[in-house]
Amino acid sequence: MARSAPTEWTAPAPPGTPVNVAGPSVPLAPARSRRSRARRGVLFLLMVAVAAVMLYPFYFMITTSFHTEAQYQTGHGSSISSWTTLGQTVPIGQQLLNSTLICAASIAIILVVSISAGFAFSKLQFRGSQGVFLALVGAMMVPLQSILIPEYVNVSRLGLTNNYTGAILVYAALGTPFATFLMTTYFRGLPDELIEAAVVDGLSYPATLWRVALPLALPAIATVTVLQFVQIWDDLLVGLLFLQNPAERPITVGLAVLASGRTTSVPILMAGSLVSALPAMVVYLGFQRYLVRGLTLGVGK
Amino acid sequence: MAEITFDRVTKVYPDGTSAVSELSLDIADGEFVVLVGPSGCGKTTALRMVAGLEEISRGELRIGGRVANHMLPRGRDIAMVFQNYALYPQKSVYNNMAFALKIRNVPKDEIDRRVREAARILGLTQYLERKPKALSGGQRQRVAMGRAIVREPQAFLMDEPLSNLDAKLRVDMRAEIARIQRMLGATTIYVTHDQVEAMTMGDRVAVMRGGILQQVDAPERLYEQPANLFVASFIGSPAMNLVEASLEAESGRLHCRFGDSSLAVSDICRQARPEIEAYAGRRVVVGFRSEDITDATSAPEAGADRRLKAVIEVREALGSEILAHFSLGEERAGLALAGDVIEEQDGGASSPRSRRFVARLGPRAPVREGERAELVVDTDRLHFFDPESGLALGRSRT
Amino acid sequence: MAALVTPVAMSRSVERSQRPRRMRLSTQRRLTGLVLSIPALALVVAFVVIPIVQAVYYSMTQWNGVTSTWIGPSAYTQTFHNPAFWQVLTNNGLLLLAVPFALAIPLGIAVLLHERVRGWKFFRSVYFLPTAISWVVIGMVAERFFAYDGPLDKIIGSHTDFLGSSSTALLALAITFVWSMIGTNTVIFLTGLATLDTTVQEAAFVDGATAWQSFSNVTLPHLKRFVQLAFIMTVISAFSALFSLIFVMTGGGPGYSTTTMEFFVYQTGFSQSEFGTAALYGIVLFVMMAVVGIVQLKLIRSE
Repeated sequence: MARSAPTEWTAPAPPGTPVNVAGPSVPLAPARSRRSRARRGVLFLLMVAVAAVMLYPFYFMITTSFHTEAQYQTGHGSSISSWTTLGQTVPIGQQLLNSTLICAASIAIILVVSISAGFAFSKLQFRGSQGVFLALVGAMMVPLQSILIPEYVNVSRLGLTNNYTGAILVYAALGTPFATFLMTTYFRGLPDELIEAAVVDGLSYPATLWRVALPLALPAIATVTVLQFVQIWDDLLVGLLFLQNPAERPITVGLAVLASGRTTSVPILMAGSLVSALPAMVVYLGFQRYLVRGLTLGVGK
Repeated sequence: MAEITFDRVTKVYPDGTSAVSELSLDIADGEFVVLVGPSGCGKTTALRMVAGLEEISRGELRIGGRVANHMLPRGRDIAMVFQNYALYPQKSVYNNMAFALKIRNVPKDEIDRRVREAARILGLTQYLERKPKALSGGQRQRVAMGRAIVREPQAFLMDEPLSNLDAKLRVDMRAEIARIQRMLGATTIYVTHDQVEAMTMGDRVAVMRGGILQQVDAPERLYEQPANLFVASFIGSPAMNLVEASLEAESGRLHCRFGDSSLAVSDICRQARPEIEAYAGRRVVVGFRSEDITDATSAPEAGADRRLKAVIEVREALGSEILAHFSLGEERAGLALAGDVIEEQDGGASSPRSRRFVARLGPRAPVREGERAELVVDTDRLHFFDPESGLALGRSRT
Repeated sequence: MAALVTPVAMSRSVERSQRPRRMRLSTQRRLTGLVLSIPALALVVAFVVIPIVQAVYYSMTQWNGVTSTWIGPSAYTQTFHNPAFWQVLTNNGLLLLAVPFALAIPLGIAVLLHERVRGWKFFRSVYFLPTAISWVVIGMVAERFFAYDGPLDKIIGSHTDFLGSSSTALLALAITFVWSMIGTNTVIFLTGLATLDTTVQEAAFVDGATAWQSFSNVTLPHLKRFVQLAFIMTVISAFSALFSLIFVMTGGGPGYSTTTMEFFVYQTGFSQSEFGTAALYGIVLFVMMAVVGIVQLKLIRSE
């Protein structure tokens, strides 16, 4: 998003503001700058207020985690005991590892199938490919809950709920439609001539995907990876049902189970929540532009 | 290098539309042939069939004597320059050029030699490590050329390679491509919609329209002896003045009359085009190029049967010359100009053409907008066409 | 395919000129395309499409996980006589009322931020950040926030257990939901605003439009597709991700007052072991999603 940095009072107020009833904001005359500055001040404070609302959970989690349960009830004092006992209450290391494993495997599958399908739907159309594409993308609208029972029955009958496999496959299947949609949209943006040039240069189609299209798809791959990572890392339902062995629970599920039990101390839960939220937050802040791109790629911009 | 032969090559799409019909064309080894025509004329399809990117429905395509209909692109040993260059954005200029050679397992030092040689020819040596993004349009165009050159292929195919450049650069690159082509002696098929490009670059120019080849000839012959009305109106800028006229024999002379005007066909012209005798008393389309018109003050000796009484409607002073757009006074509305004939043939598809004539006059010709002027036509250089078939009469003049 | 048919004579001459086992380019292209799309297709068919068919079958059985009896379509009429089902459905309907708020609030924030408030990039990141935390964590914090004598009670000076009272629990859930959607939707709208061609707005001002007229005639129509995207994302979340919030915050209670269809499926299947009925609720959820999707499409088309 290339925007010029906001300049001082001479900057024309970007138009299209419902609250600005002062009339057209075509370049402001200096006489009106005071009013404009006041308006900007009010806006700034408003944004700070919204920021406070949005950041409240982090504030709550951090402060609470530095209390004991008793301190949390009274609201006085501070302690790091919930951090020191966190590891004993929750197998946090194992759960982080589980989350990582499951995320990595699911994302790997999603990437492989969505890249190849996206390339096929955009550059290697076959008879009926448009229909297959629409059906695949339509699967995006099916909530897991609506097929939860048969899904659970199938996966457990195959004996896949006893290890990571079942959850990984379900995550992969649920993530594939949107990922395929993103990859297809992305590859459509590549000129057909690029593929033709590669073919004239002597590549087969699979080799064109591997040597020409794939290196160009890195931004889209990043988008899919980040979106799916956050999605899977933060998911509850699949991990809850398709991982029967508690030792294989990912961190989000582990926390949810503890929380629903209502016996665990709130400060420890909050410490655990912070730990669980950290990886996703780091990924979010680090790859924000890929997320934004992914969110809006469907709009065709 | 190799010769390329189209033998009644036809392309019909699954929906039944035919893009190219019965195209027969022999391109000699080392020849530069330009396919030119308006958009949708089938020129790009023809090129893509040579590249192997488009299947041939009927007919035979031979490259270097071998039937190539079903060869894969990589087996054809041809290189193509695309309109949008289709450079690999993630690769440096060097690797863009080297890529096809790497695929073919050409030894590394040979790749290096060829890439550096091509870079030298194209003046890209200092940009070899850059990515295409960091290049100007003209430089990208050169890289696309370089990618083709290093292949040392049987033939070069170029699909409107200059159309994404601005006007001045286009003129420079035009000469550049022609120079390189001659230097390499490479068989080249060049597709463009720009007749100026076609005329300046090609050894021969093939004019296409609606999937049908209209005429193949050297540029001068194409200009001097267009085979039909379409070629006459398409080649040359400004376009040839064409008007429907009646050809009347009067005391041993032939006159073509349109509106109030009448031009006598000169003896030279009659000898060159004996076919027109059979059209005496019938309607023809007569054509004359804008440069074959002068103003009467610079040709005082010209007889009345060569003169047109014109009303100058628009005067475009270009410095070295004046383009005078004129009508023939009050009778203008009754005249069927060439544009109408062409439009009928297109089923009204093409845009409405000017209903005016154009004369290319000397820079100091005394013409003013809105005023009358007397113009003299070089009646040795009249063109005649059959109004029904559109075919030129007496094209056999040598 | 007509293009594949070649006169016999010609294909013979072609075979002579090259190795016959080579496939044509267009055949290679189609075949490669087909092969490359199979893994994605197989995965989705196996884990999404087939289960839909199974769900329809299961929905007409009575099945406790061990014994299964076929009931047929009357299973649906039985369900429609269950008052809990209607309450759950009503809850879903009420939660849908939160969707306009989940769109309007971010739209307002985005438009204001677009005014180039100082530090707007920082604010954008801050607003986006909560999107990274899981619904589970959000739910845990929200549960404390709405608790008896919790932060909310302190702010408004009351002593209410918002989640424990059936009159306020759903509202608390809806507020949490709207809050969680703010980040995503704000960023969607900000992206939309960034793609706005400012010359059109300038033209509107030159034409004498007020700020509000410019917003409603230029900005909002431009954002239409982004609003659609945000709408779809929000509804999908309401119909699936809300599960985690309910699981952590209320467990569906008190009574059924915060049970929505997506939670109902889970509860019926895995707490009460009524797999057949749970599958039926799944089908109902599927139909609800389809209806919203179709209405949404119709709305786009009608414009």
